[in-house]
Amino acid sequence: MVTTELAHQVLEEALKRGAESAVVRLQERTYESVVYDTGVLRSYSVSRVVGLGIRALVGSGAGYAYTTSLDKDSIVGAIERAISIARVAGKYGRKVFAPVKPVKDVYKVEVKVDPFNIEPKAKVDLVRDVNTNSLKREGIVSAVTRMGLERDRRVIVTSEGSEIEVDVVGVGVAHMAVARYGATIERVGDRESYIGGYEYIERKDWNAFAEEIDRLALKAVQARTPPPGTYVAIVDNEVVGLLLHEAFGHASEGDGVVAGASILKGRVGEKVASELVTIVDAGLVEGGYPVPYDDEGVPKRKTTIVEKGVLKGYLTSRDSAHELGIEPTGNARAQDITFDILVRQTNYYAEPGDWKVEELFDGVSFGIYLRGRGAMGGQVNPSVGTYTFSIGPSYIIKNGEPSELVRGVVVSGNILETLKEVDAVARDLKITTSVFGGCGKGGQTVRVGDGGPHLRTRRIIVGGG
Amino acid sequence: MIEEIVRRGVKAGAKYGVSEIEVYAVRRIDTDIVGTVNGIERISTGQRISVGVRVSVGKKVTVQGGFVSKVEDVDSIVETAVKIARTLPDDPQWVSLPRKLGKTHVEGVLDPRIKNPELEQFLEIARHLLSRAKEIDRRAFTSTVSIGMATVERAIGNNYGEIQLDESTEFDTFINVKAVEGGEESGYYDSYVAPTLHRYDPEQLVARATEVAVKTLGAKRIETGTYELVLIPRVFAGVLQSLIVPAICADSVQKGRSPLKGKEGSQVLSEGVTIVDDGTYPGLTGTKGFDDEGVPTKRKVVFGKGVLEGFLYDSYTASVEGKVSTGNAFRPTPFATPSPWISNVIVEPGKGELTDLVREVRRGIVVYSTIGEWLSNPVSGLLNATVTNAVYVENGEERFPVRGVVISGNIYELLKQPGLTLSGTLESFSRFMLPAIHIPQVTLAGK
Repeated sequence: MVTTELAHQVLEEALKRGAESAVVRLQERTYESVVYDTGVLRSYSVSRVVGLGIRALVGSGAGYAYTTSLDKDSIVGAIERAISIARVAGKYGRKVFAPVKPVKDVYKVEVKVDPFNIEPKAKVDLVRDVNTNSLKREGIVSAVTRMGLERDRRVIVTSEGSEIEVDVVGVGVAHMAVARYGATIERVGDRESYIGGYEYIERKDWNAFAEEIDRLALKAVQARTPPPGTYVAIVDNEVVGLLLHEAFGHASEGDGVVAGASILKGRVGEKVASELVTIVDAGLVEGGYPVPYDDEGVPKRKTTIVEKGVLKGYLTSRDSAHELGIEPTGNARAQDITFDILVRQTNYYAEPGDWKVEELFDGVSFGIYLRGRGAMGGQVNPSVGTYTFSIGPSYIIKNGEPSELVRGVVVSGNILETLKEVDAVARDLKITTSVFGGCGKGGQTVRVGDGGPHLRTRRIIVGGG
Repeated sequence: MIEEIVRRGVKAGAKYGVSEIEVYAVRRIDTDIVGTVNGIERISTGQRISVGVRVSVGKKVTVQGGFVSKVEDVDSIVETAVKIARTLPDDPQWVSLPRKLGKTHVEGVLDPRIKNPELEQFLEIARHLLSRAKEIDRRAFTSTVSIGMATVERAIGNNYGEIQLDESTEFDTFINVKAVEGGEESGYYDSYVAPTLHRYDPEQLVARATEVAVKTLGAKRIETGTYELVLIPRVFAGVLQSLIVPAICADSVQKGRSPLKGKEGSQVLSEGVTIVDDGTYPGLTGTKGFDDEGVPTKRKVVFGKGVLEGFLYDSYTASVEGKVSTGNAFRPTPFATPSPWISNVIVEPGKGELTDLVREVRRGIVVYSTIGEWLSNPVSGLLNATVTNAVYVENGEERFPVRGVVISGNIYELLKQPGLTLSGTLESFSRFMLPAIHIPQVTLAGK
C-alpha cells in the first residue's frame, strides 16, 4: 500500500484540485515489543501504523492533512482539507519554502535477519532468561527487561520532483533493575539499540549486559547522593550526548530561532563555547539513527553548528531556512504522518579532540565523573537557555581518581555558560541511538542519535538528594 | 464505524477459538494551529482510527493493533493476535478480562464549539494571543502559540460485556511569552488543557504569561542552601505527576518499585494533604465514564489527611490481589497493554490565596515553572527540578527573580514537614485540580 505510485497519484490529484505545490508523505511503521516484568511476561504487543499525509501550498498559505484510511474517498477528503486549510492560512500569514533541487533515491538499512521473521517464542525465551536471571541476584527485588523491534518505511514525493523512500530497521534490548538495601530502593536502567536486523540480538550476550546493570544498581542503592553545589566535571560519551542535545541542540533548531524563542538567535559568529568544542548534526553516522532525507525529502547532510567554539548556523526546514535566509539543512521531521513537520535534530554530537580519557582526570583534586548508564534524559528551556538532565550513578573524583559512587545525580546549567567552561576534549568519539525512545518536542517523539567524546568542564551545577 | 469494529472483532475472536477477547477502537479527529511572531505558521487536520485487540488463550495473553483503514482490518489483527498468543508462555497471574463493563455519568467532557470548530474563530484567538503580550508590556512578545482541538470517540467491548461508547472533546492552548530588556532575557510558558472551553480565558492566559516573563527578567542564581518553597498549582502538579503518581499505581507497588509498598494505613504525608483520584470529576482531561478497559470510573481517596488509604488498579493488578479494578486502566495508545494510571488527581484545598502563602515566607522562593521535574526518581522518591521562573521572597515581600537553581530532596520528607500549608483556591491543569503549596524547608543547589 505504501508505494511511490500511490504517492504520485495523490500528488497528481492534489495539483489537479488546486494545490500549487505539495509534499506527499506515506508511512508504514511496525513496532514489536516483548516485556518481562519481574518474572512474568507482561506484554507481547505488535502495532502497525499506516497512513498518508499531504502538505498543500495555495497562494501564500500552507495546509497539512492526514488520514489513516487509504480508500479513495478518504484520500480525496484529506487532499481537499489540506487545500482548504491552505486557502484560509493564506489570510493569516505568508508561507514561503526555500527552493531545493529535486532528488530521487532509495535508502534501505541492510538487514541480515529480519526481526519480524523470528518466531515469537525465541524472542520471549531470550527476554525471560535475562529477566529471571536478574532476579536471582541477591538484592535485586524487581526487574523489567524489554526487547524492541522496529521497521519504519517512509515514502516522500514532492511537486518539485523529489521521490524518496527510506526504510529503517532497528532492534534493541533494555533492562531496568531495582535494588533494595535496608529501607532504600534504587533503580538503574540501560538499553542498547542497533540499526539493522536480529543478527545483532543473536550475537550479543544479553545476560552479561543485564548483570552489569544489576551490579551497578546493587552498588548505587548503598551510595549517598552528592552534596549539591558546583563541581568540576568529567563527562562521559553518553552524558556529552545528552548535554549537547539539550544544551545546544534544541536552541539551534531553526523554527525556534525564527520565532525568537531561542537564546541562540542573532548569535551566529559569536563565541558560545570553548574553542575546543565543535558540534555537528549528521544524518548518517556510525552508531546513530539514519536520517538520509528528512520528511520534506531534503537530503540531511552534515551541518556544523559550532566550529571551534563559534556559532556557525542553525538546523532548518524549508520554511525556516527561507526565513533565516540560509540553505535547508534537511532537519524537517515528523513522528509519523499524523503530524506536520517540526525542525528536529538527527544525530547531534561533538567532534573528538586529542586528549586520552585518563588524562582528563589529571590534576582534578575534587570533582565529579558524570556517567550515562542509568541516565533518564533531559530538558531545556531554549528561550532562556536553562537546561537540566538526570544522569546515572556517578563518581566523586578525589585527587585525580574516580572514588566514591553517588546516586540521584542531576545537573543543570545555562547554554551560554556550560560549554565555555570546557577545557579538555578526549579522542574517544561514540554515538548511540535507541529504539525505545527519542526526543520529544511539540507532542512528537522522533528517533535521534547523540554522543561525543569524553570532555571536562570546569563548572557544572549538581543537584542531589 | 468504531462500534462495528468492536462487534466484528469480538465475533472474530470466537471464530478463532480464543478464551477471551477485548477490542478497543478509537476514532480521533484533530485540528492544530501553530503561530509565531511571523503569524500563523501551520494548520493541520486529520483523522485516525486506532484499534487494540487483547486476546487470551488459556493464560497466554497478547495485545496487537494499530491504525486501521476500514472495519474489516480488525479481522487480520485478531488472526495475528491468536496466532501469536498460542506460542506464548502462560502468565500465571492472568485471571480474566473485566467481566462487567459499564459507564458512570460524567459531565463537562463534550463541547460543540470544539467538535465542530469554526477554524477562523480559533485563528483569530491565536492572532490575538500573538499580538497581545506586546500590548500588555512593551518588553514582552509572544514567541509561539499553539491551539489544538480534538473530537474523540471510543468503543470498547469484550466477550463478557456490553460494548461501551462515549464521545468527548479535547482542547489546549500553549503560549510562550518572552521578555527582553537591557540585554536580559526571560520567557514564560503557560497553557490551558481541558475537554471544553468552559474555563478558557485566553486573555488571562496571556496576561499571566506576560506578567511572569516580565517579572523574572534579570533572574539570577542564589546561594546553595536551605529555603522555604512555594509552588504554584501547575508546578505542584508536575511534582506530583513525576513522583507520587507512579508510586500509587498498583503495578509499581506489586513489583517492588514503589516506596509506598507496605505503607497502607500509615501517615505518609502531612495531615493537611488529602489527595483523591476521581475520573468522574467534571471537566478535566481524565474525566471519562469508563476507563481503557470499559470499567466504570469512580472517586477514591488515595491519601486521606496524609494517611495512605489505597492504590490505583486496573483489572490485571486488581486480580493479582483478589480485588476489583478501581477503574484506572490506562493505555498511552489504544493498542498498548493497559496498566494502572491516574484519572484525575484532586488535592483538597487549604486556606487563603497564593498571595497569603507568599506573605508567610520568611526566606524562600516562589516557583512559577521548572524543567526536568519529570526526570525525578519515583522509585527512590528523590525530587530534582530545575527552576526556570521564580522570585526570591524575604519577610513576605518579593525581592528579585531567580532561575537556574535545582530543587532537591525526598518527596515524602518534603510533603510530611510540619508547617506545610496549601492555598484555599484550586486551579485546574489537565488531569489535576489543586492548590498552591508552601513547603517550609527545601535544599536548593545554586551558586
